[in-house]
Amino acid sequence: MSSRPGRPFTRIAAGLVAATLLLTSCGDGPDQPAAREVVLVTYDSFALPEAAAAAFEEATGFRIRVVTGGDSGSVLTSALLRAGAPDGDVIFGIDGASASRVLAEDLLEPFVPAAVGSGAVPDALRLPGELADLLTPVDTGDVCVIADAEWFAARGLEAPRTLADLTDPRFRDLLVVQSPVTSSPGLAFLVGTVAAEGEGWPAYWERLRDNGVRVRPSWDDAYNTDYTVSGGDRPLVVSYASSPPAEVVFSEGTRTAPASTVLVDTCVRQVEYAGVLRGAPNPEGARQLVEFMLGPEWQAELPLTNFVLPAVTGTPLPATFEQFAARPTDPLTLPADRIGAERDDWVERWRELLE
Amino acid sequence: MSDRRPPAVRRAAVAGTLTSAAVAVLVVVPVLAVALSAFRTDETWSTAAFERVLTSDRTWRIVAVTVAQAVASTVLTLAVGLPVAWTLGRFEFPGRRLVRVVALVPFVLPSVVLATAVAALLGPAGPLDLRGTWWAVLAAHAAFNLAVVVFVVGDAFGRLGASVEDAARMLGAPARGAFTRATLPAVRPAVVSAAAVVFLFCLTSFGVLVVLGGGRVTTIEVEVYFRATRQFDLSGAAVLSIVQLLCVVVALTVVGALQRRSGAASGRVTRRAPSRAGDRWWVAATVGIVGLVAGLPMVALLDRSFRVGRAYSWSNWTNLGSVLEGTGLAVSPIGALGRSLSAATLAAVLATAVAVPAAVVAARRPGRLADRVLMLPLAVSATTLGLGVLLVAGRPPIDLRDAWWLVPLVQALVALPLVVRVVAPALRAVPTNALDSAAVLGAGPRARWWRVEVPAVRGAVAAGAGLAFVASIGEFGATVFIARVDRATVPVAIGSLASRPGAAGLGQAMALSCLLVLICGAVLLVVDRLGEVGRIGTAGAAD
Repeated sequence: MSSRPGRPFTRIAAGLVAATLLLTSCGDGPDQPAAREVVLVTYDSFALPEAAAAAFEEATGFRIRVVTGGDSGSVLTSALLRAGAPDGDVIFGIDGASASRVLAEDLLEPFVPAAVGSGAVPDALRLPGELADLLTPVDTGDVCVIADAEWFAARGLEAPRTLADLTDPRFRDLLVVQSPVTSSPGLAFLVGTVAAEGEGWPAYWERLRDNGVRVRPSWDDAYNTDYTVSGGDRPLVVSYASSPPAEVVFSEGTRTAPASTVLVDTCVRQVEYAGVLRGAPNPEGARQLVEFMLGPEWQAELPLTNFVLPAVTGTPLPATFEQFAARPTDPLTLPADRIGAERDDWVERWRELLE
Repeated sequence: MSDRRPPAVRRAAVAGTLTSAAVAVLVVVPVLAVALSAFRTDETWSTAAFERVLTSDRTWRIVAVTVAQAVASTVLTLAVGLPVAWTLGRFEFPGRRLVRVVALVPFVLPSVVLATAVAALLGPAGPLDLRGTWWAVLAAHAAFNLAVVVFVVGDAFGRLGASVEDAARMLGAPARGAFTRATLPAVRPAVVSAAAVVFLFCLTSFGVLVVLGGGRVTTIEVEVYFRATRQFDLSGAAVLSIVQLLCVVVALTVVGALQRRSGAASGRVTRRAPSRAGDRWWVAATVGIVGLVAGLPMVALLDRSFRVGRAYSWSNWTNLGSVLEGTGLAVSPIGALGRSLSAATLAAVLATAVAVPAAVVAARRPGRLADRVLMLPLAVSATTLGLGVLLVAGRPPIDLRDAWWLVPLVQALVALPLVVRVVAPALRAVPTNALDSAAVLGAGPRARWWRVEVPAVRGAVAAGAGLAFVASIGEFGATVFIARVDRATVPVAIGSLASRPGAAGLGQAMALSCLLVLICGAVLLVVDRLGEVGRIGTAGAAD
């Protein structure tokens, strides 16, 4: 009660008001949408094909700004929570296994690029039903367990080959996977185990758990932090069949051969889709970008930037990719509608077992 | 009494009642939205989400572990805090005030900042990596809540003085007996109060878990967030929100019953110099504990903010202006800071403008409906509020999720009860004889309000505004739901940077945390110069 009436209070009040005015007038930088910009919402590890992006800007006048928010599962969920008032124009990286989620909130605007209608993209990559008009297939990849070959060689240990091997006590505490809740390869791997083990998949995961599997929220965390090739402590990681060429390319000459070998019997085929977000600030730019993603520049640059296979048939593949990427002939698979119907139950059960 | 009220007060009372009603709407509507969405599965009404979530073993595991960690955190906080409270309550020594302020620091810092500071010691950049274990979480909870024990129980020890113990000893009780049989029972009410507050804070703790849990240790609060924002299981998140709300209600009821039974201590605060050798040992131990628990994490935070790996570097600070790859941020940390400052300033102005008339109502009728309603935002957990606001704001036909004022509004809502708590007791404490004297000397009702009451609470209002600013700029649990990725506030940015495995984003998180420490410190210093810092301790820690 002792504070004297007088100036400090008035001064602080005046200061606060002045500060408010000042801050609200200058703190708005990122808010104002640049007039000629198209915002691509995608996952952390996505690498923008720079040359193609420059070509896109040249052709359309739209600069691409990439907004990331975790692994693709998290990105899709954030987008769903903001359906109708999205953080960007185009969403990329929705995989086949989570595709049916976009129906829940009318997340996307229907758009089918000409390249899809013309048959340049194999029909097998298109989704069934109304999803076909919402999601455009851009690339495919195989999610597989990969092994640090040098790590195993140094210990005179033979690397595992199959899903069953991963539960072998010889490989205890060696595997790191991604959570199927937040991560697209994580979900693909879970789908793979359901495809391989059938009704017995929960028991398989119990064996994995008892054998010391580590779970990370995203591919980035698992591969770049925990995998021994990146300096971590786990020589087995769920990654991609294209990780070996990626290791060669990113080594910038220090590696002439990949560090990892692919466990081809563990692979699950995955398709990545793009869509135009409903309520996009720049719907015209969004449609042009999705169209451009199937164009020759973007498609040709994908293998060595994102280490995926182009969706458009006949796109030439770089030699490094041809040489080092594993091409599993018989990947694990499940029908899209079954995944759509049961995915949430699998994830719930998985969380109960592993978390 | 009402006829004596000056028009300004009457107007304030009307405004205050309206405020209470508005607060009720702003809190109840989001909670209702959460409750309703718990009954929505696949666009139809059903109890499927309840069956699904409540029959899962995992849910009950999480509920059990949430309660268990809150109990463990409370026990740890008491174990660390009681000796400190005893020493600070009992002894007068040079630097005593400084020790109290240092103990208060973690409590007034945003939870994600404190957690980042603890991560500087017990995280991947520190000497011991305990991130992802309960140990790191418990340590942060103890650091955060130390102030509650020190302030609430310390005053009780002080009021007790040494007289009771001396009396017991004179009556023949041995030294230990005097303490356990005379002193402890007398301070038990204060200990119960402090323990209750600590328990409730830990039960609904969120920022600490996000940063230090590493995705491996989880509580109900974190699970609500995870289900809603990662799994897109809104109905499941809503069911867990309701479970959380019930836990809080049960805890509040138990606490209320305990406090009624124990009654409060009262008396004059007496302290003496630590004259005996044993006394000096206690003082040294106290300085050591406070330095270790509250001071060291801050020092480590500052130190680590200047390191990349093991080597010293400016780059965490010089990079604050840029969006770094692999950190998962869509805005630069400096951009987030500008946004945070403006949002928190707006929120503080709004909360204070609304809280003063509200406090008039609360002060005249403590414990009545209006007073209780104003405390509602404290009872609802931050994630419940955030989830609810997101659900309500996204309802067509009006989509408010992009409105720039949504974040400041929610922050003001969260800060409002704190301001009311600071201002209402000050209003209540205006001596009636001062008002009567003024009336006798010819002051009209209006003059009495402006020239006696307002000057008397001015300091409290400033303290409340400062507290509202600090609470708003640090708000994490609700903001993280509603801030767009390209409009992240500083705590959201820190949460995102510091929760990533590995040390990639940690450097920027630490530099940003240091900035927030500086800002909060500067605001509190201004408040302190007005002689009101004590109010903050009591506002946060009052029942």
